[in-house]
Amino acid sequence: MEEEMTNRRVSNRTRKVATKMAAALTSNDNRTQAAIARLEALENDNGAIEVVDVNDDEEASLDEDDDLGYVQKKQHKGSKRKTRQAKALEARRAPKSFLELLQEANLESLPAHVPTYLKAAVGPPSSSSRRHFCSVCGYIAGYNCCLCGMRFCSIRCQNIHKDTRCQKFVA
Amino acid sequence: MSNIVVLDNGGGLIKAGQGGERDPTTVIPNCLYKPLSSKKFLHPSPLTTLAEEIDLTSASVRRPIDRGYLINSDLERDIWSHLFTSLLHITPSSSSLLLTEPPLSIPSVQRSTDELVFEDFGFSSLYVAHPQSLVHLYEASRQPDSVLSKTQCSLVVDCGFSFTHAVPVLHNFTLNHAIKRIDLGGKAFTNYLKELVSYRSINVMDETFLVDDAKEKLCFVSLDLLRDLRLARSGNNLIKSTYVLPDGVTHTKGYVKDPQAAKRFLSLSDKDHVESDFMAKVGDRKKADMNKNEIDLTNERFLVPETLFQPADLGMNQAGLAECIVRAVSSCHPYLQPVLYQSIILTGGSTLFPQLKERLEVELRPLVPDHFDVKITTLEDPILGVWRGGSLLASSPDFESMCVTKADYEELGSARCRRRFFH
Repeated sequence: MEEEMTNRRVSNRTRKVATKMAAALTSNDNRTQAAIARLEALENDNGAIEVVDVNDDEEASLDEDDDLGYVQKKQHKGSKRKTRQAKALEARRAPKSFLELLQEANLESLPAHVPTYLKAAVGPPSSSSRRHFCSVCGYIAGYNCCLCGMRFCSIRCQNIHKDTRCQKFVA
Repeated sequence: MSNIVVLDNGGGLIKAGQGGERDPTTVIPNCLYKPLSSKKFLHPSPLTTLAEEIDLTSASVRRPIDRGYLINSDLERDIWSHLFTSLLHITPSSSSLLLTEPPLSIPSVQRSTDELVFEDFGFSSLYVAHPQSLVHLYEASRQPDSVLSKTQCSLVVDCGFSFTHAVPVLHNFTLNHAIKRIDLGGKAFTNYLKELVSYRSINVMDETFLVDDAKEKLCFVSLDLLRDLRLARSGNNLIKSTYVLPDGVTHTKGYVKDPQAAKRFLSLSDKDHVESDFMAKVGDRKKADMNKNEIDLTNERFLVPETLFQPADLGMNQAGLAECIVRAVSSCHPYLQPVLYQSIILTGGSTLFPQLKERLEVELRPLVPDHFDVKITTLEDPILGVWRGGSLLASSPDFESMCVTKADYEELGSARCRRRFFH
Protein backbone atom coordinates (compact mmCIF):
# COMPACT_ATOMS: atom_id res chain seq x y z
CA MET A 1 0.00 0.00 0.00
CA GLU A 2 1.41 3.36 -0.92
CA GLU A 3 0.47 6.56 0.82
CA GLU A 4 -0.09 9.71 -1.15
CA MET A 5 1.85 12.66 0.13
CA THR A 6 1.58 16.19 -1.07
CA ASN A 7 5.07 16.26 -2.55
CA ARG A 8 6.48 12.76 -2.52
CA ARG A 9 5.09 9.31 -2.76
CA VAL A 10 6.68 7.07 -0.18
CA SER A 11 6.26 3.34 -0.08
CA ASN A 12 6.06 1.33 3.05
CA ARG A 13 8.54 -1.24 1.90
CA THR A 14 11.69 -1.90 3.82
CA ARG A 15 14.30 0.79 3.97
CA LYS A 16 18.02 0.75 4.21
CA VAL A 17 19.28 0.39 7.72
CA ALA A 18 22.80 0.43 9.14
CA THR A 19 24.43 -2.96 8.81
CA LYS A 20 24.92 -3.59 12.49
CA MET A 21 21.34 -2.64 13.23
CA ALA A 22 20.08 -4.78 10.39
CA ALA A 23 21.99 -7.75 11.66
CA ALA A 24 20.57 -7.23 15.12
CA LEU A 25 17.04 -6.75 13.89
CA THR A 26 16.93 -9.82 11.72
CA SER A 27 18.66 -12.10 14.17
CA ASN A 28 16.49 -14.61 15.83
CA ASP A 29 18.76 -14.45 18.79
CA ASN A 30 16.64 -13.74 21.82
CA ARG A 31 19.38 -11.83 23.50
CA THR A 32 19.73 -9.14 20.85
CA GLN A 33 15.99 -8.89 20.54
CA ALA A 34 15.64 -8.48 24.26
CA ALA A 35 18.32 -5.79 24.21
CA ILE A 36 16.57 -3.85 21.44
CA ALA A 37 13.22 -4.18 23.15
CA ARG A 38 14.77 -2.90 26.35
CA LEU A 39 16.08 0.21 24.61
CA GLU A 40 12.76 0.88 22.97
CA ALA A 41 11.02 0.50 26.31
CA LEU A 42 12.97 3.50 27.53
CA GLU A 43 10.77 5.64 25.32
CA ASN A 44 7.50 4.32 26.73
CA ASP A 45 4.98 6.66 28.20
CA ASN A 46 3.27 4.01 30.25
CA GLY A 47 4.88 0.93 31.71
CA ALA A 48 4.62 -2.69 30.68
CA ILE A 49 1.58 -4.74 31.59
CA GLU A 50 2.58 -7.98 33.25
CA VAL A 51 4.21 -8.34 36.63
CA VAL A 52 6.84 -11.06 36.32
CA ASP A 53 7.84 -11.39 32.71
CA VAL A 54 9.02 -7.87 32.26
CA ASN A 55 11.42 -8.55 29.43
CA ASP A 56 9.10 -10.80 27.53
CA ASP A 57 6.29 -8.33 27.37
CA GLU A 58 8.55 -5.49 26.42
CA GLU A 59 8.69 -6.97 22.97
CA ALA A 60 4.96 -6.61 22.78
CA SER A 61 4.97 -3.36 24.66
CA LEU A 62 2.31 -0.78 24.07
CA ASP A 63 4.71 2.03 23.16
CA GLU A 64 3.03 4.48 20.85
CA ASP A 65 -0.11 2.40 20.84
CA ASP A 66 -0.99 4.13 24.07
CA ASP A 67 -2.28 6.96 21.99
CA LEU A 68 -4.97 4.58 20.84
CA GLY A 69 -6.05 4.15 24.43
CA TYR A 70 -9.52 5.46 23.79
CA VAL A 71 -9.96 3.38 20.68
CA GLN A 72 -8.87 0.17 22.34
CA LYS A 73 -11.34 0.63 25.16
CA LYS A 74 -14.15 0.91 22.70
CA GLN A 75 -13.02 -2.32 21.17
CA HIS A 76 -13.43 -4.14 24.44
CA LYS A 77 -16.89 -2.81 25.05
CA GLY A 78 -18.22 -3.27 21.52
CA SER A 79 -16.35 -6.53 20.90
CA LYS A 80 -17.52 -6.65 17.35
CA ARG A 81 -15.09 -8.11 14.87
CA LYS A 82 -13.67 -5.18 12.98
CA THR A 83 -13.32 -5.40 9.26
CA ARG A 84 -9.96 -4.78 7.73
CA GLN A 85 -11.19 -1.50 6.35
CA ALA A 86 -12.35 -0.27 9.70
CA LYS A 87 -9.01 -1.14 11.21
CA ALA A 88 -7.19 0.70 8.45
CA LEU A 89 -9.38 3.74 8.99
CA GLU A 90 -8.63 3.69 12.68
CA ALA A 91 -4.92 3.38 12.05
CA ARG A 92 -5.08 6.39 9.76
CA ARG A 93 -6.91 8.54 12.25
CA ALA A 94 -4.54 7.84 15.13
CA PRO A 95 -1.59 10.20 15.30
CA LYS A 96 1.55 8.79 13.83
CA SER A 97 4.52 8.26 16.04
CA PHE A 98 7.53 10.45 15.50
CA LEU A 99 9.56 7.65 13.97
CA GLU A 100 6.94 7.11 11.31
CA LEU A 101 6.84 10.80 10.55
CA LEU A 102 10.60 10.81 10.34
CA GLN A 103 10.59 8.04 7.77
CA GLU A 104 7.95 9.77 5.73
CA ALA A 105 9.92 12.97 5.71
CA ASN A 106 12.57 11.17 3.74
CA LEU A 107 15.44 13.21 5.11
CA GLU A 108 18.08 11.25 3.25
CA SER A 109 17.10 12.83 -0.02
CA LEU A 110 17.99 16.36 1.06
CA PRO A 111 21.35 17.78 -0.08
CA ALA A 112 24.30 17.11 2.17
CA HIS A 113 24.78 20.57 3.59
CA VAL A 114 21.30 20.81 5.09
CA PRO A 115 21.31 19.89 8.77
CA THR A 116 18.65 17.37 9.68
CA TYR A 117 17.44 15.45 12.69
CA LEU A 118 19.34 12.36 11.59
CA LYS A 119 22.63 14.14 11.11
CA ALA A 120 22.42 15.74 14.49
CA ALA A 121 22.60 12.44 16.32
CA VAL A 122 25.88 12.15 18.11
CA GLY A 123 27.53 9.09 16.72
CA PRO A 124 28.94 6.01 18.40
CA PRO A 125 31.27 6.51 21.34
CA SER A 126 34.97 6.66 20.60
CA SER A 127 35.77 3.72 22.84
CA SER A 128 33.73 0.63 22.23
CA SER A 129 34.39 -0.89 25.63
CA ARG A 130 31.34 -0.78 27.78
CA ARG A 131 30.80 -1.49 31.42
CA HIS A 132 28.37 -4.14 32.51
CA PHE A 133 26.39 -4.06 35.71
CA CYS A 134 25.06 -6.98 37.69
CA SER A 135 21.35 -7.40 37.14
CA VAL A 136 20.78 -8.42 40.74
CA CYS A 137 22.69 -5.95 42.82
CA GLY A 138 24.14 -3.38 40.44
CA TYR A 139 27.82 -3.81 41.07
CA ILE A 140 30.29 -4.17 38.22
CA ALA A 141 29.57 -7.54 36.63
CA GLY A 142 32.28 -9.90 35.55
CA TYR A 143 30.36 -12.94 34.47
CA ASN A 144 27.22 -13.76 32.59
CA CYS A 145 24.73 -16.54 32.84
CA CYS A 146 25.37 -19.20 30.23
CA LEU A 147 21.69 -19.90 29.77
CA CYS A 148 20.18 -16.47 29.36
CA GLY A 149 23.07 -14.03 29.13
CA MET A 150 22.22 -11.76 32.06
CA ARG A 151 25.13 -10.42 34.02
CA PHE A 152 26.02 -11.02 37.62
CA CYS A 153 28.93 -10.17 39.86
CA SER A 154 29.37 -13.01 42.31
CA ILE A 155 28.14 -16.48 43.17
CA ARG A 156 25.58 -15.11 45.59
CA CYS A 157 23.99 -13.03 42.85
CA GLN A 158 24.22 -15.96 40.49
CA ASN A 159 22.21 -18.12 42.87
CA ILE A 160 19.55 -15.48 43.24
CA HIS A 161 19.43 -15.13 39.49
CA LYS A 162 19.09 -18.85 38.97
CA ASP A 163 16.33 -19.17 41.53
CA THR A 164 14.15 -16.30 40.48
CA ARG A 165 14.88 -14.84 37.11
CA CYS A 166 16.73 -17.11 34.77
CA GLN A 167 14.76 -18.59 31.88
CA LYS A 168 11.75 -16.48 32.69
CA PHE A 169 12.47 -14.13 29.85
CA VAL A 170 13.89 -16.37 27.22
CA ALA A 171 11.08 -17.68 25.10
CA MET B 1 -0.58 46.87 21.58
CA SER B 2 -1.38 43.22 21.85
CA ASN B 3 -0.04 41.28 24.74
CA ILE B 4 2.46 38.55 24.10
CA VAL B 5 2.04 35.06 25.46
CA VAL B 6 5.29 33.21 26.01
CA LEU B 7 4.80 29.45 25.86
CA ASP B 8 7.67 27.08 26.42
CA ASN B 9 6.24 23.85 25.03
CA GLY B 10 8.36 21.20 26.60
CA GLY B 11 8.04 17.45 26.49
CA GLY B 12 7.59 17.24 30.23
CA LEU B 13 6.36 20.60 31.46
CA ILE B 14 4.68 23.57 29.79
CA LYS B 15 5.78 26.91 31.09
CA ALA B 16 3.41 29.71 30.11
CA GLY B 17 2.88 33.32 30.97
CA GLN B 18 2.85 36.91 29.77
CA GLY B 19 5.89 38.33 28.06
CA GLY B 20 7.82 40.83 30.11
CA GLU B 21 7.34 39.17 33.47
CA ARG B 22 9.97 37.57 35.61
CA ASP B 23 8.32 34.21 36.12
CA PRO B 24 5.78 32.20 34.17
CA THR B 25 2.23 32.30 35.41
CA THR B 26 1.81 28.55 35.33
CA VAL B 27 3.95 25.50 35.00
CA ILE B 28 1.93 22.40 34.21
CA PRO B 29 2.89 18.93 33.02
CA ASN B 30 2.38 18.57 29.28
CA CYS B 31 0.16 15.51 29.43
CA LEU B 32 -3.22 14.19 30.38
CA TYR B 33 -3.21 11.64 33.12
CA LYS B 34 -5.76 9.19 34.41
CA PRO B 35 -5.35 8.27 38.08
CA LEU B 36 -6.97 5.15 39.40
CA SER B 37 -9.73 7.17 41.00
CA SER B 38 -11.13 8.49 37.74
CA LYS B 39 -12.33 6.97 34.51
CA LYS B 40 -11.42 9.79 32.17
CA PHE B 41 -8.18 11.51 31.40
CA LEU B 42 -7.77 14.62 33.50
CA HIS B 43 -5.82 17.82 33.17
CA PRO B 44 -3.02 17.94 35.70
CA SER B 45 -2.99 20.81 38.15
CA PRO B 46 -0.17 23.35 38.03
CA LEU B 47 2.94 22.52 39.94
CA THR B 48 2.74 25.39 42.35
CA THR B 49 -0.75 24.93 43.67
CA LEU B 50 -0.98 23.20 46.99
CA ALA B 51 -4.38 21.77 46.28
CA GLU B 52 -5.29 18.34 47.57
CA GLU B 53 -2.83 16.04 45.96
CA ILE B 54 -4.34 13.22 44.02
CA ASP B 55 -2.93 9.81 44.51
CA LEU B 56 -0.96 9.26 41.35
CA THR B 57 -0.32 5.55 41.85
CA SER B 58 -0.58 3.70 38.58
CA ALA B 59 -1.78 6.75 36.73
CA SER B 60 -1.58 6.23 33.01
CA VAL B 61 -0.52 9.13 30.90
CA ARG B 62 -0.99 10.43 27.36
CA ARG B 63 1.54 12.83 25.95
CA PRO B 64 1.18 14.89 22.80
CA ILE B 65 4.95 15.19 22.44
CA ASP B 66 6.81 12.11 21.31
CA ARG B 67 10.61 12.18 21.25
CA GLY B 68 10.54 15.92 21.72
CA TYR B 69 8.37 16.89 18.76
CA LEU B 70 4.67 17.69 18.76
CA ILE B 71 2.88 14.94 16.92
CA ASN B 72 -0.55 14.74 18.48
CA SER B 73 -2.11 18.11 17.81
CA ASP B 74 -5.57 17.09 19.02
CA LEU B 75 -4.26 16.33 22.45
CA GLU B 76 -2.14 19.46 22.50
CA ARG B 77 -5.13 21.54 21.49
CA ASP B 78 -7.02 20.12 24.42
CA ILE B 79 -4.24 20.94 26.86
CA TRP B 80 -3.67 24.41 25.45
CA SER B 81 -7.34 25.38 25.48
CA HIS B 82 -7.51 24.38 29.12
CA LEU B 83 -4.34 26.37 29.74
CA PHE B 84 -5.51 29.48 27.93
CA THR B 85 -8.99 29.63 29.34
CA SER B 86 -8.66 28.47 32.91
CA LEU B 87 -5.09 29.20 33.87
CA LEU B 88 -3.92 32.16 31.82
CA HIS B 89 -7.25 33.87 31.07
CA ILE B 90 -6.28 35.25 27.68
CA THR B 91 -8.07 35.44 24.37
CA PRO B 92 -5.84 34.07 21.61
CA SER B 93 -7.20 36.29 18.86
CA SER B 94 -5.84 39.42 20.47
CA SER B 95 -2.45 38.07 21.46
CA SER B 96 0.80 37.09 19.85
CA LEU B 97 2.49 33.86 20.70
CA LEU B 98 6.13 33.12 21.29
CA LEU B 99 6.53 29.37 21.04
CA THR B 100 9.55 27.16 21.53
CA GLU B 101 10.33 24.17 19.40
CA PRO B 102 13.32 21.84 19.51
CA PRO B 103 15.86 22.40 16.74
CA LEU B 104 15.86 20.40 13.51
CA SER B 105 12.18 19.69 13.41
CA ILE B 106 10.64 18.06 10.36
CA PRO B 107 8.32 19.99 8.02
CA SER B 108 5.18 17.98 8.76
CA VAL B 109 5.51 18.67 12.48
CA GLN B 110 6.11 22.36 11.80
CA ARG B 111 3.08 22.49 9.58
CA SER B 112 0.79 20.92 12.13
CA THR B 113 2.08 23.27 14.81
CA ASP B 114 1.38 26.29 12.62
CA GLU B 115 -2.08 24.99 11.87
CA LEU B 116 -2.72 24.55 15.56
CA VAL B 117 -1.65 28.08 16.38
CA PHE B 118 -3.28 29.98 13.56
CA GLU B 119 -6.28 27.97 12.53
CA ASP B 120 -7.40 26.35 15.74
CA PHE B 121 -6.67 29.13 18.17
CA GLY B 122 -6.36 32.14 15.88
CA PHE B 123 -3.40 33.93 17.39
CA SER B 124 -2.64 37.20 15.73
CA SER B 125 1.03 36.49 15.21
CA LEU B 126 3.63 33.86 15.99
CA TYR B 127 7.33 33.62 16.61
CA VAL B 128 9.02 30.25 16.93
CA ALA B 129 12.31 30.10 18.78
CA HIS B 130 14.76 27.41 19.68
CA PRO B 131 14.99 27.08 23.45
CA GLN B 132 18.76 27.27 23.32
CA SER B 133 18.90 30.72 21.77
CA LEU B 134 16.50 31.97 24.42
CA VAL B 135 18.75 30.58 27.13
CA HIS B 136 21.72 32.33 25.57
CA LEU B 137 19.82 35.61 25.53
CA TYR B 138 18.85 35.25 29.17
CA GLU B 139 22.33 34.38 30.32
CA ALA B 140 23.90 37.16 28.30
CA SER B 141 21.62 39.69 29.88
CA ARG B 142 22.39 38.43 33.36
CA GLN B 143 26.14 38.72 32.96
CA PRO B 144 26.80 41.68 30.74
CA ASP B 145 30.59 41.62 31.00
CA SER B 146 31.32 37.97 30.62
CA VAL B 147 32.96 36.40 27.61
CA LEU B 148 29.59 35.04 26.66
CA SER B 149 27.87 38.31 26.13
CA LYS B 150 30.84 40.15 24.65
CA THR B 151 31.28 37.57 21.93
CA GLN B 152 27.55 36.82 21.58
CA CYS B 153 28.29 33.17 21.36
CA SER B 154 27.93 30.20 23.68
CA LEU B 155 27.40 26.47 23.80
CA VAL B 156 24.09 25.55 25.38
CA VAL B 157 23.76 22.03 26.74
CA ASP B 158 20.06 21.37 27.12
CA CYS B 159 19.19 18.18 29.04
CA GLY B 160 15.46 18.06 28.79
CA PHE B 161 12.70 15.54 29.10
CA SER B 162 13.01 13.87 25.72
CA PHE B 163 16.63 14.24 24.72
CA THR B 164 19.82 16.18 25.28
CA HIS B 165 21.27 18.63 22.81
CA ALA B 166 24.59 20.39 22.63
CA VAL B 167 23.88 23.50 20.60
CA PRO B 168 26.32 26.29 19.69
CA VAL B 169 24.54 29.64 19.60
CA LEU B 170 25.93 32.67 17.77
CA HIS B 171 24.23 36.06 17.77
CA ASN B 172 21.01 34.52 19.05
CA PHE B 173 20.82 32.01 16.26
CA THR B 174 21.59 28.34 16.63
CA LEU B 175 24.27 26.89 14.38
CA ASN B 176 22.20 24.04 13.05
CA HIS B 177 24.97 22.18 11.32
CA ALA B 178 26.84 21.71 14.58
CA ILE B 179 24.03 20.48 16.81
CA LYS B 180 24.59 17.10 18.40
CA ARG B 181 21.87 15.09 20.14
CA ILE B 182 21.81 12.25 22.65
CA ASP B 183 18.51 10.39 22.90
CA LEU B 184 18.46 10.35 26.68
CA GLY B 185 16.34 12.63 28.78
CA GLY B 186 14.23 12.75 31.89
CA LYS B 187 11.78 10.25 30.45
CA ALA B 188 14.48 7.71 29.70
CA PHE B 189 15.99 8.14 33.16
CA THR B 190 12.65 7.56 34.80
CA ASN B 191 12.04 4.46 32.70
CA TYR B 192 15.49 3.13 33.47
CA LEU B 193 14.97 3.69 37.18
CA LYS B 194 11.62 1.91 36.92
CA GLU B 195 13.34 -1.03 35.27
CA LEU B 196 16.08 -1.23 37.91
CA VAL B 197 13.68 -1.00 40.81
CA SER B 198 11.29 -3.51 39.29
CA TYR B 199 14.10 -5.98 38.80
CA ARG B 200 15.38 -5.68 42.32
CA SER B 201 12.39 -5.01 44.54
CA ILE B 202 8.80 -3.98 43.86
CA ASN B 203 7.33 -3.79 40.37
CA VAL B 204 6.87 -0.11 39.67
CA MET B 205 6.63 -0.20 35.90
CA ASP B 206 3.27 1.57 35.97
CA GLU B 207 4.14 4.26 38.46
CA THR B 208 5.50 6.97 36.21
CA PHE B 209 4.85 9.91 38.49
CA LEU B 210 6.02 8.24 41.67
CA VAL B 211 9.29 7.07 40.21
CA ASP B 212 9.74 10.49 38.66
CA ASP B 213 9.42 12.00 42.10
CA ALA B 214 11.88 9.51 43.57
CA LYS B 215 14.33 10.24 40.79
CA GLU B 216 14.15 13.97 41.36
CA LYS B 217 14.60 13.70 45.07
CA LEU B 218 17.15 10.95 45.38
CA CYS B 219 19.32 10.59 42.29
CA PHE B 220 22.71 12.21 42.09
CA VAL B 221 25.77 12.02 39.90
CA SER B 222 28.72 10.20 41.34
CA LEU B 223 32.18 11.64 40.97
CA ASP B 224 33.95 8.32 41.26
CA LEU B 225 31.83 5.43 40.11
CA LEU B 226 33.90 2.51 41.38
CA ARG B 227 34.32 3.96 44.81
CA ASP B 228 30.61 4.65 45.11
CA LEU B 229 29.71 1.18 43.90
CA ARG B 230 31.96 -0.32 46.52
CA LEU B 231 30.41 1.87 49.18
CA ALA B 232 26.93 0.87 48.14
CA ARG B 233 27.87 -2.76 48.19
CA SER B 234 29.36 -2.68 51.66
CA GLY B 235 26.10 -1.60 53.20
CA ASN B 236 27.57 1.71 54.21
CA ASN B 237 24.89 4.19 55.12
CA LEU B 238 26.16 7.11 53.18
CA ILE B 239 24.39 6.18 49.99
CA LYS B 240 21.42 4.04 50.90
CA SER B 241 18.09 5.78 51.06
CA THR B 242 14.45 4.76 51.31
CA TYR B 243 11.48 6.07 49.43
CA VAL B 244 8.03 5.36 50.82
CA LEU B 245 5.28 4.76 48.30
CA PRO B 246 1.83 6.18 49.00
CA ASP B 247 -0.72 3.80 50.39
CA GLY B 248 -3.79 5.92 49.85
CA VAL B 249 -4.74 5.85 53.51
CA THR B 250 -2.26 7.80 55.55
CA HIS B 251 -0.58 9.72 52.77
CA THR B 252 -1.33 10.11 49.10
CA LYS B 253 2.05 11.25 47.95
CA GLY B 254 5.31 9.39 48.11
CA TYR B 255 8.12 10.81 50.17
CA VAL B 256 11.69 10.16 51.07
CA LYS B 257 11.93 8.48 54.41
CA ASP B 258 14.80 10.47 55.80
CA PRO B 259 15.68 13.53 53.75
CA GLN B 260 18.67 14.44 55.87
CA ALA B 261 20.17 11.02 55.45
CA ALA B 262 19.68 11.27 51.72
CA LYS B 263 22.15 14.13 51.61
CA ARG B 264 24.96 12.30 53.33
CA PHE B 265 26.59 11.41 50.05
CA LEU B 266 27.70 15.02 49.77
CA SER B 267 30.22 14.42 52.50
CA LEU B 268 32.14 11.99 50.36
CA SER B 269 35.31 13.52 49.08
CA ASP B 270 38.14 12.32 46.93
CA LYS B 271 40.24 11.45 49.88
CA ASP B 272 37.92 8.84 51.33
CA HIS B 273 39.39 5.51 50.64
CA VAL B 274 36.99 2.76 51.39
CA GLU B 275 38.25 -0.64 52.31
CA SER B 276 36.34 -3.26 50.46
CA ASP B 277 34.33 -4.80 53.24
CA PHE B 278 32.56 -8.00 52.86
CA MET B 279 29.40 -7.52 50.92
CA ALA B 280 26.28 -7.02 52.98
CA LYS B 281 23.97 -9.91 52.54
CA VAL B 282 21.90 -9.27 49.47
CA GLY B 283 19.18 -11.44 50.90
CA ASP B 284 18.64 -9.02 53.78
CA ARG B 285 18.09 -6.22 51.38
CA LYS B 286 15.34 -8.07 49.59
CA LYS B 287 13.53 -8.98 52.78
CA ALA B 288 13.28 -5.41 53.96
CA ASP B 289 11.67 -4.31 50.74
CA MET B 290 8.77 -6.70 50.71
CA ASN B 291 7.40 -5.72 54.09
CA LYS B 292 5.98 -2.32 53.46
CA ASN B 293 5.53 -0.12 50.45
CA GLU B 294 9.08 1.08 50.52
CA ILE B 295 11.85 1.05 48.01
CA ASP B 296 15.47 1.00 49.06
CA LEU B 297 17.74 2.76 46.64
CA THR B 298 21.49 2.40 46.85
CA ASN B 299 23.46 2.23 43.65
CA GLU B 300 20.44 3.08 41.48
CA ARG B 301 20.74 6.59 42.84
CA PHE B 302 23.88 7.26 40.85
CA LEU B 303 23.67 4.59 38.15
CA VAL B 304 20.73 6.32 36.53
CA PRO B 305 22.36 9.71 35.82
CA GLU B 306 25.57 7.85 34.97
CA THR B 307 23.96 6.74 31.73
CA LEU B 308 24.03 10.34 30.51
CA PHE B 309 27.81 10.20 30.61
CA GLN B 310 28.04 6.71 29.13
CA PRO B 311 24.94 5.62 27.22
CA ALA B 312 26.80 2.45 26.35
CA ASP B 313 25.90 1.22 29.85
CA LEU B 314 22.36 0.79 28.61
CA GLY B 315 23.51 -0.72 25.36
CA MET B 316 22.86 2.46 23.38
CA ASN B 317 25.38 3.05 20.68
CA GLN B 318 25.77 6.74 21.40
CA ALA B 319 28.54 8.80 22.88
CA GLY B 320 28.28 10.40 26.29
CA LEU B 321 27.72 14.00 27.23
CA ALA B 322 31.36 15.07 27.28
CA GLU B 323 32.03 13.67 23.83
CA CYS B 324 28.82 15.16 22.53
CA ILE B 325 30.02 18.59 23.57
CA VAL B 326 33.42 18.04 21.99
CA ARG B 327 31.87 16.91 18.72
CA ALA B 328 29.50 19.83 18.63
CA VAL B 329 32.28 22.32 19.19
CA SER B 330 34.59 20.65 16.70
CA SER B 331 31.97 21.00 14.00
CA CYS B 332 32.21 24.76 14.32
CA HIS B 333 34.67 27.15 12.82
CA PRO B 334 38.11 26.96 14.54
CA TYR B 335 37.94 30.61 15.60
CA LEU B 336 34.80 29.93 17.55
CA GLN B 337 36.05 26.90 19.40
CA PRO B 338 37.95 28.53 22.29
CA VAL B 339 35.07 30.91 22.89
CA LEU B 340 32.57 28.08 22.94
CA TYR B 341 34.55 26.09 25.45
CA GLN B 342 34.71 29.08 27.72
CA SER B 343 30.99 29.69 27.69
CA ILE B 344 29.18 26.42 28.23
CA ILE B 345 25.71 26.83 29.72
CA LEU B 346 23.87 23.94 31.33
CA THR B 347 20.12 24.08 31.16
CA GLY B 348 17.12 21.80 31.28
CA GLY B 349 15.44 19.92 34.08
CA SER B 350 17.79 16.96 33.97
CA THR B 351 20.73 19.12 34.95
CA LEU B 352 19.31 19.44 38.43
CA PHE B 353 21.06 16.26 39.54
CA PRO B 354 23.56 17.21 42.25
CA GLN B 355 27.22 17.17 41.28
CA LEU B 356 26.49 17.07 37.57
CA LYS B 357 28.53 20.15 36.82
CA GLU B 358 31.59 18.88 38.69
CA ARG B 359 31.42 15.53 36.98
CA LEU B 360 31.12 17.14 33.58
CA GLU B 361 34.16 19.31 34.26
CA VAL B 362 36.17 16.27 35.24
CA GLU B 363 35.12 14.40 32.13
CA LEU B 364 35.42 17.25 29.70
CA ARG B 365 38.82 18.58 30.66
CA PRO B 366 40.90 15.65 29.32
CA LEU B 367 39.10 15.80 26.00
CA VAL B 368 39.78 19.47 25.35
CA PRO B 369 43.19 20.70 24.16
CA ASP B 370 45.32 22.25 26.87
CA HIS B 371 45.40 25.77 25.60
CA PHE B 372 41.62 26.09 25.71
CA ASP B 373 39.90 27.23 28.87
CA VAL B 374 36.87 25.24 29.95
CA LYS B 375 34.22 27.07 31.91
CA ILE B 376 30.74 25.76 32.67
CA THR B 377 27.89 27.87 34.05
CA THR B 378 24.59 26.60 35.35
CA LEU B 379 21.43 28.63 35.30
CA GLU B 380 19.97 29.51 38.63
CA ASP B 381 16.72 27.84 37.57
CA PRO B 382 17.21 25.44 34.66
CA ILE B 383 13.52 24.73 34.24
CA LEU B 384 12.44 28.35 33.94
CA GLY B 385 15.52 29.60 32.13
CA VAL B 386 14.09 29.19 28.63
CA TRP B 387 10.86 30.90 29.59
CA ARG B 388 12.68 33.84 31.07
CA GLY B 389 14.71 34.22 27.89
CA GLY B 390 11.49 34.20 25.92
CA SER B 391 10.03 36.82 28.20
CA LEU B 392 13.09 39.01 27.62
CA LEU B 393 12.80 38.57 23.87
CA ALA B 394 9.11 39.39 23.95
CA SER B 395 9.74 42.63 25.74
CA SER B 396 12.33 43.80 23.24
CA PRO B 397 11.12 46.61 20.99
CA ASP B 398 11.63 44.92 17.63
CA PHE B 399 9.87 41.71 18.56
CA GLU B 400 6.70 42.67 16.70
CA SER B 401 8.54 43.01 13.43
CA MET B 402 10.08 39.54 13.76
CA CYS B 403 6.78 37.71 14.08
CA VAL B 404 4.73 36.08 11.38
CA THR B 405 1.19 37.46 11.35
CA LYS B 406 -1.90 35.47 10.62
CA ALA B 407 -2.36 37.25 7.31
CA ASP B 408 1.16 36.31 6.24
CA TYR B 409 0.54 32.71 7.15
CA GLU B 410 -2.69 32.54 5.22
CA GLU B 411 -1.12 34.11 2.18
CA LEU B 412 2.22 32.34 2.07
CA GLY B 413 1.68 29.09 3.88
CA SER B 414 3.69 27.46 6.56
CA ALA B 415 6.96 26.67 4.82
CA ARG B 416 7.62 30.18 3.53
CA CYS B 417 6.80 31.70 6.89
CA ARG B 418 9.16 29.39 8.65
CA ARG B 419 12.06 30.61 6.60
CA ARG B 420 11.72 33.96 8.26
CA PHE B 421 12.96 32.42 11.46
CA PHE B 422 16.12 31.15 9.75
CA HIS B 423 15.57 27.68 11.15
